[in-house]
Amino acid sequence: MRSGIFAGLLLVTVSAATAFAQGAPIKLADVAELSGGGATVGNNWKNGIDLAIEEINAKGGVLGRKLEVTHADSQSNPGVARAQVQKALDNEPYVLLGPGYSGSVKVTSPLAAEAGITQIMGGEAAELTQGGNKFLFRTSFGQQSSMPKVAKYINDELKAKSAAIVWVNNDFGKGGRDVITKEFAKYNIKVAADLSTEAGQADFAADVSKIKAAAPDAVFVYLNEEESARILKELKRQAVAVPLVGETTLVGQKVVELAGDAANGARGHVGLTTDAPVDLVKAFREKFVKKYNYVPDHNGLKGYLAIYMVKATTEKMGKVDPKKFADTLHGLTIKAASEPGILMDVTFDEKGDIDRQGFLVEIVEGKQVVKQVLPKLN
Amino acid sequence: MTAAGKYWRIALGVAVIAALIIVPMNFNRYGLYILSQWTVMTIAAMGLNLTLGYAGQVSLAQGAFVGIGAYAAAIMTTQGMPLIVALGVAIVLCFAIGWILGYPALRVQHHYLAFVTLAFSTLAFLVFRNEDWLTKGIYGISNIPRPNVLGFATNRPLPFYYFCLGSLGIVSLAMWWLIRSPWGRAFVALRENPVRALSLGIDTRRYTLMAFAIGSALGGVAGTLYAPLTQYIDPVPFNLSLSLDLLMMVIVGGSGFFFGPFLGAMIAVLLPEWLRFTQGYYLMLYAVAVMLLLIYSPTGILGILDRYLTERRTKAASALRAVAKSRLETAP
Repeated sequence: MRSGIFAGLLLVTVSAATAFAQGAPIKLADVAELSGGGATVGNNWKNGIDLAIEEINAKGGVLGRKLEVTHADSQSNPGVARAQVQKALDNEPYVLLGPGYSGSVKVTSPLAAEAGITQIMGGEAAELTQGGNKFLFRTSFGQQSSMPKVAKYINDELKAKSAAIVWVNNDFGKGGRDVITKEFAKYNIKVAADLSTEAGQADFAADVSKIKAAAPDAVFVYLNEEESARILKELKRQAVAVPLVGETTLVGQKVVELAGDAANGARGHVGLTTDAPVDLVKAFREKFVKKYNYVPDHNGLKGYLAIYMVKATTEKMGKVDPKKFADTLHGLTIKAASEPGILMDVTFDEKGDIDRQGFLVEIVEGKQVVKQVLPKLN
Repeated sequence: MTAAGKYWRIALGVAVIAALIIVPMNFNRYGLYILSQWTVMTIAAMGLNLTLGYAGQVSLAQGAFVGIGAYAAAIMTTQGMPLIVALGVAIVLCFAIGWILGYPALRVQHHYLAFVTLAFSTLAFLVFRNEDWLTKGIYGISNIPRPNVLGFATNRPLPFYYFCLGSLGIVSLAMWWLIRSPWGRAFVALRENPVRALSLGIDTRRYTLMAFAIGSALGGVAGTLYAPLTQYIDPVPFNLSLSLDLLMMVIVGGSGFFFGPFLGAMIAVLLPEWLRFTQGYYLMLYAVAVMLLLIYSPTGILGILDRYLTERRTKAASALRAVAKSRLETAP
């Protein structure tokens, strides 16, 4: 009797093992800001992931195996993020996805590295990839690569000698502000006003009058989308006529919708935007809108790309090997011609930073117009 | 209480402690992390329970004190100082600030006091965030080391959990002693009827400040454990929502009951984790569960138990009375 049970158990184990080898789903774990202050970030990221996985599975998966993802909510709190990443790692996922907040990435990346699991995240703070972590990869430009382009533009094209900086006081805004302040110093651009604002701030009248009083040659605006729209309106109301320069969050479609006329003339550097003049990106946007009924921000794109990074890397290896994943992705170039899901050609360097084309755009009559395509470096 | 009842209680206590020591040995890292979090939150909630449950002062600043403790630990241990020194600094600092914050409590009560402490909570958050030179601002402090306790490294999750559990044990014993001491009685007198307490010769002024200061110091103790637990801190976890969370733990567990914070923290830390299988609904279900509980029993979980025990005692007493009465009637 006992031997019968044993044999049965053995049979189950063996058959489970073979099933695993042949076509068991590849398990991915996502930890993101699904509630709390970063809920827009996390939900866009999650939806991007789900969309990509649905597409890939519909076409037969990766190396004949389906992708499967579990989503866990970090509540936008680094302590909770740590717990959830720990839980995800205990289940030995193939790759860890997220989080999006840089603070949450900082607290979780040592855990993933210790477990030898690759982490593909959404954080943009410059320092994340500078600690020598061999398992951490970005999905977008870090601030250390986007801000120099903005500063160069302000210096070369606008010939500004002084600039006001308006930033949102969280790790995203502060990080951008610190990098661009350094870049300004290189070009001898004087920081005429350095204004910290709150996430969710409704009234920018005081900040704008300070900008007016400082009379800079340009204003660098680094806020979230809603706040960007509000400050654009206030800048127009108080008739500030100098060029307004920003990043992805200043010139997005959402800002144009919210700010209306006031958005005209705003310009910025954009790494990932659903308004990019790239056919694959436009197609992505249509698919996303069809499935979720709203236009995603760059976080939706990041989540989508993360999954295609997993697919391309795995196909390059020719097998599902979590240990070799990070090594393979370092130095890998993924071409949109061979992997359309990656949308634009991209290369990952030894630190896990990305190299991809970017755009300088300006809002003209309520439309994003690409003024300049900044090519991929190599 | 009968002697048998007393033995049952002791046996139950020993069983729970043994379970807390033995069962987690098989837990994975995630389970240990959550349990460690529970011990930390319990300590913070015990502090608030003293202020609110025993002394009757509403405070919305406990999260800020956890933050002060966490920052003290993070700043000092990353500079190479041992955690025990940071613990001392955190206790003294939180005690002093709590004492000062207690002064408004002498003049304002209830929701007015809540507003004063709420303002302090916001102030503390702004200091954590804006004083870059000290707290590294919004970037936070990373690589916070875990301590060596009596020569044992606590880097692994299990030893660190035992370290947290041990700290909880020490704090619990101290609290047990405190609320049975004349001070504890004075705190309760303060809550029940301050005027009467004053007329009985209790220095209500001093005890109000004391309740605030000791409660705050326990928040600081919890903070010094929180920092090495997460090994990274930034200002966000110590905003007002932590204070509200702690307040909820105390009320849900049963404010003014010794074991209230243990149960309250268990619900606040573990229940959302258990409910995670419901995906996007877990926080909603959690909120509904807490609301239903408070509607059913405004005095928290231990309030239910208390009500049940009181009822049983009343029943027993009326039964005795009935027996006595019938005896009287049948007596010739």
